[in-house]
Amino acid sequence: MTSRPAILFLLPALLLYAAFVVVPILQVVAYSFFSWDNGIAQEFVGLANYTHLGSDSVFWAALSHNAIWVVLTLAFPLLAGLLLAAILADRSPRTIQVMSAIYFIPRTIPLVVAGIIWGWIYNPLFGLLNYGLDMMGLGSLAGAWLAEESTALVSLNVVGAWTFFGFCVVIYLGAIQSIDPSLYEAAEVDGAPWWRKFRDITVPLLNNSTLFLGLYAAIEAMRFFDLIWVTTQGGPGYATEVLTTHVYKTFFLVGDFGYAAVLSVVLLVIVLSLSAIAFRLLRAK
Amino acid sequence: MKRTAWSAPLVLCIATQATAQDTVVVTQWDQFAQSGITAAGPAMDELIATCKPALNGAEVLRTIAPSIGIRDSYRLAVSAGKTPDLAYTWPAASVLSGYARVGALAPLDDYYAQYGWDQVNAFYKGRNSYEGKTYGLPMEQDLMGVYYNKDLFKENGLAVPTTYAEFQALVEKLKADEIIPVAFGNRDRWPATNTFSLILGLTAGRELEEKVFFGDEPWTNPAFVQAAQTFQDWAKADIFPRGFNGVGYDEANALFLSGRAAMTITGTWVLQDMIRGAKFDLGVFMLPPIAEGVAPGTMWGEGSQWQLSAAATPAVRDAAAAYLDCLVSPESRQVWVQKGYTVPIGTTPAELAAWGADPVVQEFFTGGLATPDANFYDLHTTLPESMTQVLYPELQRLAGGEVTADEFLTTMQAAWVTAGANNERWIP
Repeated sequence: MTSRPAILFLLPALLLYAAFVVVPILQVVAYSFFSWDNGIAQEFVGLANYTHLGSDSVFWAALSHNAIWVVLTLAFPLLAGLLLAAILADRSPRTIQVMSAIYFIPRTIPLVVAGIIWGWIYNPLFGLLNYGLDMMGLGSLAGAWLAEESTALVSLNVVGAWTFFGFCVVIYLGAIQSIDPSLYEAAEVDGAPWWRKFRDITVPLLNNSTLFLGLYAAIEAMRFFDLIWVTTQGGPGYATEVLTTHVYKTFFLVGDFGYAAVLSVVLLVIVLSLSAIAFRLLRAK
Repeated sequence: MKRTAWSAPLVLCIATQATAQDTVVVTQWDQFAQSGITAAGPAMDELIATCKPALNGAEVLRTIAPSIGIRDSYRLAVSAGKTPDLAYTWPAASVLSGYARVGALAPLDDYYAQYGWDQVNAFYKGRNSYEGKTYGLPMEQDLMGVYYNKDLFKENGLAVPTTYAEFQALVEKLKADEIIPVAFGNRDRWPATNTFSLILGLTAGRELEEKVFFGDEPWTNPAFVQAAQTFQDWAKADIFPRGFNGVGYDEANALFLSGRAAMTITGTWVLQDMIRGAKFDLGVFMLPPIAEGVAPGTMWGEGSQWQLSAAATPAVRDAAAAYLDCLVSPESRQVWVQKGYTVPIGTTPAELAAWGADPVVQEFFTGGLATPDANFYDLHTTLPESMTQVLYPELQRLAGGEVTADEFLTTMQAAWVTAGANNERWIP
C-alpha cells in the first residue's frame, strides 16, 4: 500500500484524536494563561497562575500523596502478585484457572463501587472491620480508619491494592508460564529449593513484566480520582488529597478555571513523562 | 386541487411552528425532590398547576437537580452561558454576588417594586443583593436547631437545657449513661460548617460576626477563638460519635433516628425526613447562648433563592416574575408548608398553627423565629467558594485535633484576606 491510501485510512482516526484529545489539551493549556471569574475568562495573565504553585500547600500535599500512593502500590500489590503467581504456577491447570479468576474479580469492580464497599467496611459506626476486630478480642485496635489523618491514606491504598493485585497475578502468571521449564528442571537436579528457584530464575526473568506493571501502576496512581471522591473527598483535612481531587475542587467548586488548568497541565506533564519513560524502557527491552 | 391537498399539511406545520415560537417558555431548574434535603417535590408539582394562570400562556420547562449538586451545575451553566431562565439554587451572599458581578443574573428590583414581596426582610434581601441591587428572591426559611429524642429524655429523666451549663450537664449525663449525646457525621465535609456556624453565632453574636464579615475585625478575635475552641472541645469530649469525620450526614441522621443518639444538631431542611423517620416522640429546641452576654438566637439562611438569568428575554422574565409572585403568595406558602414541609420566609408561627403544620415544624419555627434581631449567619452559604473550600478541610482538622483553634482561625484569616484581594467577598 502506498503512503497516500495509508494516510487516507488513518485520517478519520487522526481527526477524531485531534478533536477529542489534542484540541482539549491545547484548550486547557490556553486556559492556564487567563484569569477567570466564575468560569468566565477575564484577561491574559501570562504565567501568573503558575507562580501560585509554589505557595499552594495543598498542591504539594496532594503531590506527595500521589508519590506515596505510587510507592505503596509498587511495594504491595506487585509483591503480593509476584508471590501468588509463583506459588500458583506450580499448581494444576484447573487450580490456576479458578484461582486466577478469583484473584482477578476485584479488578473488574469499578473503583466507585469498590469505594462504597470499603467505605462500609471501614465505617466507624457499623463497619465490618471494627466488628471483626471486636469479635476476635482485638477491639482495642479498632479505629476510624478513613476519619483519621494517620490512617486514611494507607487505608485507601489497601483498597487500591485490593483492586490491583489480581491484575498483577494474571500478568506475572502469564510471564512465568512462558519461562523455559528446563531452567527449573536443571535447578531441581542441582537440588535448589523453591525460594532459590524463585529468586534466581523467576524474578530475574520477570523484569519486563515488573517494569510494565510498575510503570502502569505509577501512571494509574497519578490519574485516580473516583476511589478518593466517593470515600473521603480528599479528607479528613487534606490527608487523602491527590492531584485529581485538587483539580476537581479548584475547577468545579471554587470556579478558578485558570489555576485548575495549571494543575491539570502539571498532572499532564507528569503522566506524559511517565508514559515516555515507560515507552522508552519497554522498547529498549 | 392536488396542489392544495399537498400544501395543507405544510401550512398546518408552519402555523404550528409559529404558535410554538410565540409561546413563551420559562426554563426552570429546581431541587424539589420527593425525599432527602428540600423534599418539597409534591408542593412544587401542585404549585406548577396552581400557578399556571399567572404565567399568562407561558409554559414552564422544569428540570429537577439534586440539592447538593445544583450549585456546581449552575456554576458550569454560568461559565457556558447556558443558565436556565429561572433557577432555585444556592447559596446566596458571596456566590450570588459573583454571578451578579459577571452579569449572569437579572436584577429583580423592578419586580420587588411591582409585586411587593415584603415578606423578604432586610437581612434576607441583603444576602441576595450586590452593589445595591437585588438579584434573588429567597423563599425557604432555614433555621438551625437541636432535634432530640423526647422518649429517651423522659426515660433518662432529662430536661431540655435552657443555659449552656445545663447543656453541658445534659451531655455529661448522657455520656455517663453510655448514650451518644449528639449524632454528627462530617464525611461530607459540609455538616461541620453548619454546626460551627451555630456555635460561632452563640459565642460571638451577630454584631461581632458583621464586624468580621463587613468590617476590619480579624477572624482571630477572642470570641471566634472561643467558638473554635468550643467546637474542638465538643469533639474531644466525645459528644459526637467515634470517627465522626468518617460518618456521612445521612448516617448520622440515621443514628439519631435509630435511637442510639439523644440529639442531632442540624437544620430545618431535613424536617420531612426527620418527621417521617422518627419512631419516637421527636422534639426540637434551640441551643442556648454559649458565651456570656450573647443574646439567644439561631443561624438563619434562605436555603435557596429564585434567580433570573440576565440572558432571558424581557417576556420570559416578566412571565417568570409573575409565576414567582404566585409561588410566594400566602396561598402558595400554605401549600409549601402542608405538602412540602418547607416554610417560606415570612410565614409566622400563628400561620403554621392555623395551617395545621406538623407539631415539630411548629416547635422548630416558634423557637427559631422568636429571636429575629439576634439571629446570625451561616458560614456555609455566606462565604466565597474559595473560602468554603478552606473551611471544609480546616474544620475537619480542627475537630480531629490536628490544628489548634488559633491555627484554624489564622488559616481562615489568610483565606479571608485572599478572598478580599480577589474581590470575592459579599458586601450587601
